[in-house]
Amino acid sequence: MDNGSANTPRRPGQAVFSNRQVPLAELPDYQAAKLDLVSLRFAPYAALTAGLLWLGLAAAVFIAPRLPFADVTLPPGLVLVPLVALIWFVAVAWIDGRRRGWALREHDLIYRSGLIWQRTAILPFARIQHVETASGPLERLFGLMRVKCFTAGGMGADLSVEGLDRASARKVRQHLLEQIRDEDGMDDAARGEDEEAGG
Amino acid sequence: MSESDDWQRLSPLALVFLIVSGLQRQVRENLFLFAGAGAGAAFTDWLGLRELALIALVFVLFSVLGAMLYHRRFRFRMEADAVRVRRGLVEHKELRVRFARVQNIQLGQPFYFRPFNLVRFSLQTPGASDKEVELPGIDRSLAETMRDRISAARGELEETEARPEPEEGADPEPLEQPAVFAPSSGRLFLHGLSSNQVWVIAGLFFYVGGNLLERFGERVEQVAERALENGQAIDLPVSAWALGAGALLVFLLILFVLSGLLALVRFWRFRLRERGDRVIALAGLFDRREQTLRRAKVTGLQLRQSAVGRVLGCWSLVLRQTRSSDHETPAGGNAFVVPGLRQDDLALAEALLPGAVFPGRFQRISPRYRRFAFSRLLLGLLLALVLAGLLFGFDHWSLLALSVGALVALPVLHLRFRQWGWALEEGVLWVRRGLLGQRIDGFDLEQVQQARVTSSPYLRRHDLVGLELVLPQGVIGLPFLPSRPAAELANRALATAEQARFHRV
Repeated sequence: MDNGSANTPRRPGQAVFSNRQVPLAELPDYQAAKLDLVSLRFAPYAALTAGLLWLGLAAAVFIAPRLPFADVTLPPGLVLVPLVALIWFVAVAWIDGRRRGWALREHDLIYRSGLIWQRTAILPFARIQHVETASGPLERLFGLMRVKCFTAGGMGADLSVEGLDRASARKVRQHLLEQIRDEDGMDDAARGEDEEAGG
Repeated sequence: MSESDDWQRLSPLALVFLIVSGLQRQVRENLFLFAGAGAGAAFTDWLGLRELALIALVFVLFSVLGAMLYHRRFRFRMEADAVRVRRGLVEHKELRVRFARVQNIQLGQPFYFRPFNLVRFSLQTPGASDKEVELPGIDRSLAETMRDRISAARGELEETEARPEPEEGADPEPLEQPAVFAPSSGRLFLHGLSSNQVWVIAGLFFYVGGNLLERFGERVEQVAERALENGQAIDLPVSAWALGAGALLVFLLILFVLSGLLALVRFWRFRLRERGDRVIALAGLFDRREQTLRRAKVTGLQLRQSAVGRVLGCWSLVLRQTRSSDHETPAGGNAFVVPGLRQDDLALAEALLPGAVFPGRFQRISPRYRRFAFSRLLLGLLLALVLAGLLFGFDHWSLLALSVGALVALPVLHLRFRQWGWALEEGVLWVRRGLLGQRIDGFDLEQVQQARVTSSPYLRRHDLVGLELVLPQGVIGLPFLPSRPAAELANRALATAEQARFHRV
């Protein structure tokens, strides 16, 4: 049966409308993406930040009974608890830091994290509201930078890609900004018009 | 230049609204000072009635003064593509909201505005947690002109389509089209009975009335002790147990009736209408509210049925928007709730969410959910018992407590497992969850902001994952999915979101 298109002359360059069925298996699989590992400096950074907390706790348990004004008696083995936890969490943070991966695909950003509880987040560029890079003092010491992607879903929907070296983080931010501009430049320009100013 | 293009002031009657809402806010924010957690007892013990009245007077005076200053400063103006507001007491603010950003328009009419044909006009935008613009006490015709201009500017409504002026004395309902849904008063009362607001009211009652109840109990104890000292017998017409059970029953009855009546007041003469790209709900006895929602801004819907609702065959529907509240309580007054639905009315969900087809059946999650939850719960109970045993000693009661805990947990976890389900129909994903009641979320995969796939060692061992889809209104999760269908669902969601015409909300 003629669908009507045969009677309508097609202009040169005009696309033919099609609506073929796409089998699920043919959709791009996020699992097939080859992830790049984060910076090698991230593992020591993650281990250090995890270790500092537990080291502080272990120090508190060790020092508290020895303070001249404190009348506290703690079981002698108690100091072992934060020490064991310190070793465990430092080891987990280190291995997690070596395994974290990320990838940029044509239309989205993938970030995998976690060792025991693993999480893979996939964020379409079309959903990013804005992008920023951030780094704390320790991160700067290790030459690391985070890329934070904000979406409409609020804090729970934002994605923070940790463990990138500064150059990669800046490149990723630039790439994401270009993608956003390409996809919805008009919308961004219009959004800036909403204003709130002190009078 | 039309009337609405000039800087406008609020009507003098808006002061009443500002004072009332200011007082409501003061009470809400400071309630914890006077009630609950023993603070109420402490206050009423330290302060006499006169002091309390003085404090209340100070609160009222502050509210009145604040409202007067706010009213004096407040100005608003309609521009070609935006509404501009000047307001603020200490810090003067000027706010401009573009029509294109507006996702919800509300017109409310408290009973004291009705004789003067004034309304409260509010605008919501996706970024703001509450109403971004609220103009209380403006003329109804001006509010309707503004509403139509905003709609026209957003391309939903042709200016020529603007509705005709209502006749003198006619029902001030905004549109002439027949309602697509209009529940009877009985259905609204049933909605109140089945709504979870019963438990909110109960909580509020115990929070505020806990102090009074405590005093009442003390008084009863005193009377009983005095009677016993005097050697008087206390004769009760029935046993103490029956009396207690009767009191509880009466209390519950009052609670449910109160909830039913509140629903009637809130949703009085509820009418749901469609007009072009807009869905309009009109309801309320003392405060007649008209909520206008743009379909393009609807990010999903939620069908709800509480445990009581299952017995009564009563559902409700909430239209979801970016970061929208889905609570029916006063704090979540902006939620777009359609109350009093029957099973037969669920097709309304398909009408409100374009392209949606309500699924015939839901796919279950893996039965390992039940096994995992039960084994971990049992382990937790066992650990708690061992710890308690080490501290207080072991006895046969511990074993009994463990057995009872396990026996109660088993059917609860089974019910929870049975409620989990999902179905993908025509690009719309439906996720069902609950225990005795149920909640069914429906949303177009185009709305997905992010997909997350999570796994624990147990899940990986059994080739399972948890899937979380982040939406503008929150996160919808599906636990214990076989990894292949979960990956396919995630891929489908991402492909749909990435090809969607409407991008950022």
